[in-house]
Amino acid sequence: MHTIRNSSSKWIEQAAKASGFETELTRRGFLKLSVCAISGLAMLGLGEAFGENAPLVILDNAKGCILADPTRCVGCQRCELACTEFNDGRAQPSLARIKIARAVNFGLTGPTGGDMHGDWGDGLLLQGVCRQCPHPVPCATACPQNAIKVDPQTGARVVDPAVCVGCRLCQRACPWGMLSFDEEAGVATKCFLCHGSPKCVEACPAAALRYVPWRDLTRDGSSGRPALSVVAPEKAKACLDCHLPAGTNAAK
Amino acid sequence: MAVRSGGFAGKVLRVDLSTGKIGTENTLERYAAMLGGAGIGYRVLWDEVPAGTGPFDPANKLVFAAGVLVGTSVPCNGRTTVTTIFPTCWPKPLVGSGHMGGHFAATLKYAGYDALIVEGKADRPVWLMIRDARVEIRDAGHLWGSGIRRTTLEISQEMGADCVVAAIGQAGENQAPMGMVVNSVSHSAGGVGGVMGAKNLKAVAVQGSGAVRIAGDKGEWERLIKFHLSILGGNNQHVVPSFPTPEAEYYNPASRWIGQPGKHWGAAKPPVAITGNIHDPNRIAYRTNSAAYFLGDEAWKYTIRGNGCTACPIRCHTMLKVPSVTAKYGIPDTAQNTCVALQFGRLFFERLAGRKGGEAAIEACMVGMHLADDLGLWSNYGQLQRDLRKLYEGGYLKDRLGAKEYASIPWDKYENADPAFLLDLIPRIANRQGELGEVLSRGTGAIFDHWSIPEAQWAEDRTTTYWKMGHPKHHANEDDGQCGVIINTQYNRDAQCHSHTNFVRNGLPLEVQKKLAVAIWGSPDALDAPGDYTPANVHKAKRAKWSLLRKELHDALGVCNWMGPWAASPLRERGYAGDDSLESKFLSLATGQVMDREALDRAGERIFTLHRALTIRDMGQVNMRAKHDIVPPWIFEDTSGAAPFTKGTIRMDPADIARAMDLFYAVMGWDKDTGAPGKARYAALGLADVGETLAAAKLTPEEGK
Amino acid sequence: MSAIGADDLAQAALETVREASAATRLIAADEILERLLAGGFAEQLQTPAEADPCLWVAEVLSGLPGIASFESLSGRTVYHDPALLSRTYARILDRKDATELLLAEEIRSNSRDYPRPVPVELFEKPPFNLAPETIEAALKALSFGREFQDITAITTAAGAVYLFSNRYLERGYAVFLAEQDGSFAMNP
Repeated sequence: MHTIRNSSSKWIEQAAKASGFETELTRRGFLKLSVCAISGLAMLGLGEAFGENAPLVILDNAKGCILADPTRCVGCQRCELACTEFNDGRAQPSLARIKIARAVNFGLTGPTGGDMHGDWGDGLLLQGVCRQCPHPVPCATACPQNAIKVDPQTGARVVDPAVCVGCRLCQRACPWGMLSFDEEAGVATKCFLCHGSPKCVEACPAAALRYVPWRDLTRDGSSGRPALSVVAPEKAKACLDCHLPAGTNAAK
Repeated sequence: MAVRSGGFAGKVLRVDLSTGKIGTENTLERYAAMLGGAGIGYRVLWDEVPAGTGPFDPANKLVFAAGVLVGTSVPCNGRTTVTTIFPTCWPKPLVGSGHMGGHFAATLKYAGYDALIVEGKADRPVWLMIRDARVEIRDAGHLWGSGIRRTTLEISQEMGADCVVAAIGQAGENQAPMGMVVNSVSHSAGGVGGVMGAKNLKAVAVQGSGAVRIAGDKGEWERLIKFHLSILGGNNQHVVPSFPTPEAEYYNPASRWIGQPGKHWGAAKPPVAITGNIHDPNRIAYRTNSAAYFLGDEAWKYTIRGNGCTACPIRCHTMLKVPSVTAKYGIPDTAQNTCVALQFGRLFFERLAGRKGGEAAIEACMVGMHLADDLGLWSNYGQLQRDLRKLYEGGYLKDRLGAKEYASIPWDKYENADPAFLLDLIPRIANRQGELGEVLSRGTGAIFDHWSIPEAQWAEDRTTTYWKMGHPKHHANEDDGQCGVIINTQYNRDAQCHSHTNFVRNGLPLEVQKKLAVAIWGSPDALDAPGDYTPANVHKAKRAKWSLLRKELHDALGVCNWMGPWAASPLRERGYAGDDSLESKFLSLATGQVMDREALDRAGERIFTLHRALTIRDMGQVNMRAKHDIVPPWIFEDTSGAAPFTKGTIRMDPADIARAMDLFYAVMGWDKDTGAPGKARYAALGLADVGETLAAAKLTPEEGK
Repeated sequence: MSAIGADDLAQAALETVREASAATRLIAADEILERLLAGGFAEQLQTPAEADPCLWVAEVLSGLPGIASFESLSGRTVYHDPALLSRTYARILDRKDATELLLAEEIRSNSRDYPRPVPVELFEKPPFNLAPETIEAALKALSFGREFQDITAITTAAGAVYLFSNRYLERGYAVFLAEQDGSFAMNP
């Protein structure tokens, strides 16, 4: 154990170097390897686990997230418009990375009649906000290109448009349907917290949105739909917290 | 101007219900000079709908136009103008527009359209499905006969939860001139529902995944948006709160900015406390509560939240929850609206009409909102209600309605201000049942025609607030002296102009208002203290012109004339000035084509003048002064005999009003005798073709003399 | 005292007033002096033995742009930053405990500045928050006070009570404005 610990920094450095995240690591950024992972590493051999272009493993938690209060939302969509107008130079709610339009009329359950939310129901509007999920991040995990990365400033999970190929798997993977697709650019896009000053929060005229220190909002059980959970084997193998080969005695 | 430059979506959708033909036009090729809104509407009517066309003829057209700024986050946008031959215009239907907010206009833009032109008549009930480039005429047989609520639900089930449905109810289906079209629960365009019904068009439903581009620098755009937010007040751009507050020097108990500490959205679960201050853009939505303003403070406990048009931070449609009404009247316990539509129900009752408040008024409003917005019945700015009261209280109905029908109406409920009265009356009118239902469904003019009641009996009775041509006053001399009178002469329905009244009722001291007046209209004499009127002058005429042009401009841009123009602001640090060039700044940035205030006002003048031309053409009459720009006799009276231009009366003087009209025609560049534009004037405004047509028909002053 | 010290002192005084204004409080020279002393400005505040340091504070404050002052009902001069605490609101605060004067002056300034009468309900709402009985009693007292003879009550046709000062508004015009105010809800 101790031996490994003493060498752990060396392993981490090599792992980081191999994955191309060396500089981020020096800045205490991306990668976080647990003790178990290190022991796993030692057993498997670094080369296999961390070859060139090895997939990401555990993403650091985001530093902040947007908290939405449905009791205050007045359904004006100014947040959606601020998101795209101020970031993309065009007003396009279908592209917005905070989601209101789909819930305005009837709430998220849609035009069922009976007791509904939204303008035609009791008025409650549940805003769609990216939870900047902790590990395992559904969209990042689903992306076969590893195009979803962590913004160094805010920790937001961000689509890198240079890497994204537009397969839309991330959209299918998000339990809350928060990934947007930019039809013009042919890439996915999602809430990136506007470098720490979310425009939607600034724009809300009813104080229904706040930008707060990150907390885990993924456990409220209110996901709108089942998530598509597909993890490529090479990706799973690289995540040594859990995905150890059969028979390996993981020290948990 | 390239289509992708910004603001404009780029296409106008044209649907012929007779042939089923669906096509698009390039907005800028045909309508650039008219911008949008009623501008496009008037141009279509001029070019394509001949004089003498009736509102329910297949040859009449319905132009649903958004506006250049609609779909963006410009504060207070989201408006649709619906232009057509307007059915309640009496004695002869002429060009007119209904206006509706909600989400329709923005979604039309996202679908890729600046406007929708509906022509012809379907041979059976249909609805129009618009999803981006995909447009279909679909069968509405299963929807016909349903109210707007169910229609919206069922279409949404077919199209998706985020579609926006503009539908008619039974009133429109029955081709009632008083029918309206409603989208997004409560947002209605009056008077045009019957025209849709006559075309067998039950609804237009839109979904849009596209964008409205901003041509200019997005950082500059963001800064301008934030600046605009910083100068907003409460509803109607009332720039002082109704209560003293540490951040403000001024307050006004009559202000619509009534959200103050201590108040709550009481029906939110849990209630939301009202907070905020003049400099806080994140609490603008807490300033306005239309229900509390019009119905009294009791309404706060029934308030869920504010609601309204896409992108507007004001939220003037107050959403109420009143649990008692479900058991009592069998209606949903939630409803929302603003201004007259909010009060649709209680205005029918003599006992409730005169004063704010009380639970009975609130219940009556809930019943009225539900029925009116589901059956799609218009109030004609409250004239329907005033007419019913006058007809009953004045004994007209007892005299003229058959005894059987008279007895069948629950007048005891009316006398007791029992909201259940409305459960009989409103469907009666929407379904055009019996003589009363039929007459009231046609608008005020039908009262004169059907029962041979001289119009003068309305026009001489100030309590009717009747103005002319079958419609009431809308912010006339009671608010704004001669300026208000001039404005009210200009349209073929009630004026629907708020530019002037927003300013004079904004709550600032008169001295401050006069200072702002100097900056915008050149003189402190452009306005008087209320009820302390001075004789007509050119500055008031200029302000009337500004008011009218800006109203047309706002409709063309799709911004709300109930909030704009932004002549004043709450900010002491700006001397309470707003920014009179805001519209042109936004338009320039959005489209990438720089247009200053004067250039944009010119476009507004072009649009307004085309309305004048249409009116002249379709009346077959050049003498607008005598035949159209009419004022009712009651403005020249005062119940206590006070003389005009004394303190404490709104009484006008006939010679002074004649002079006011002289001055107005002069600032418009119109002929003094007829109030009609000449050929040269049309040409100067880019309407040469219009001027020539009218001249050839001897409908311009030179030829007509 | 050095020039630098003087600037620091002025700045500290400014901030003290601003802090109070932001908390919706009026502040007098003695309290400002206390805070400045607590803030370590004793040296800059040294004065000849008999001189009142408050006067020195007052002099410093009078040199500050953007700070308003007036003579409080208590007789002391009070200070506020009008950008944070408006003159109108400052006066209301000052008169908080003098109900009759509070009502009278508010009625007068409305009649003078806008001009308009005020509905009596104004005083039931924040920031006045007076009970109807309190208001009634105060109005009664005003009607007897010689210096308040200008304060007049009128009742509209609908039964609403409005108050105005006949020093600035004629009765007939006040009646008109009161009726008009009552009509606004019916004139959407």
